[in-house]
Amino acid sequence: MPDDFRPGSREDFDRLYRVAYPRVYRTLTALLSDPAAAEDCAQDAFVQAFHAWSRWRPEAPAEAWIHRIAVNRAISYRRSAKLRSVGEVLRRLGRPAPAPDPADHALRSDLLDALRALPPKLAAAIVLRHVHGYNNREIAAALGVSERTVGTRLRQAAERLRHALEPFSLEAPSAFQADSSEFHVKD
Amino acid sequence: MSKTDPDEIDPLLKARLRAELNAVRPPSSLPRYATAGPPIRAWRLAPVALAIAFTGILALTAFAATGSPNPAVWTNRVETVINPPSPSSAPESESTGEPRIGSPAAPTHRPTAEPSEQPEPANTPEPTESTEPAQSPEPSDDHQSPSPSPSSPPSADH
Repeated sequence: MPDDFRPGSREDFDRLYRVAYPRVYRTLTALLSDPAAAEDCAQDAFVQAFHAWSRWRPEAPAEAWIHRIAVNRAISYRRSAKLRSVGEVLRRLGRPAPAPDPADHALRSDLLDALRALPPKLAAAIVLRHVHGYNNREIAAALGVSERTVGTRLRQAAERLRHALEPFSLEAPSAFQADSSEFHVKD
Repeated sequence: MSKTDPDEIDPLLKARLRAELNAVRPPSSLPRYATAGPPIRAWRLAPVALAIAFTGILALTAFAATGSPNPAVWTNRVETVINPPSPSSAPESESTGEPRIGSPAAPTHRPTAEPSEQPEPANTPEPTESTEPAQSPEPSDDHQSPSPSPSSPPSADH
């Protein structure tokens, strides 16, 4: 994506929104299990970026800059979600939990569940690298860390995902083990 | 499969990750920033903060001046300072109700012991020179104890 945005330009920000919003939303979907929360955080990130648009420096890619805001929003949301869950449990003491939304079922998979179980900074790094195609330098700008830290996080995230997905092997195992004693009937 | 990039992951995992996340469709909603107002800056609250601070300082000053937390007392004090009571409105007007003008400060010149025009009769009997012979208290054979008259003086021999 050409990064020729002008800080403070409303037209350029609108263009940035059209290009970056789907990618930012997908990144937040990998961090948050609630699609509504992902949309909320993505929209709030763009609002915050819009207010600071005139102060944006072209040294870092604009999309990486917005990703940084969005990931921080998601991290804050997950922290407060823990507190909300405790309050919710206390409030529902004795009452059954509400039924899950069928629409969320489409977004649930063992891979996404494993991704959401990772620490958000690790999950963000692996999504930015292997889904959006960022290089380590761009990820470092997006997350506000050094490139070395990005490399460490990518390795840790990959290791954890591998362990989490081991029971669900990526390659479908053969139904029957091949036995050398068997022979095939030849026509 | 040789991995040239140490950060590279399993190709199957990578492909699955891309497929699942790219299948996520963002909701088509209007951008919130288009309708969001400008952020509330702290300096916009400065006039309110100044007004509150000024009111607090006034209240503290009034409390220190009057020694009372009652605002009615402060108001009364302010009125007294602005409109001091005139000396002619002294509450010493008596039966006539007319204000005295240049009345002598008689009460202040009165000595503590009033020079009464008519000396008040003393309660104690005063020694008077009566012509009546004093009945001496000398013992006598007469067993009749003389009844002392009210004006019997004490023995002059003392």
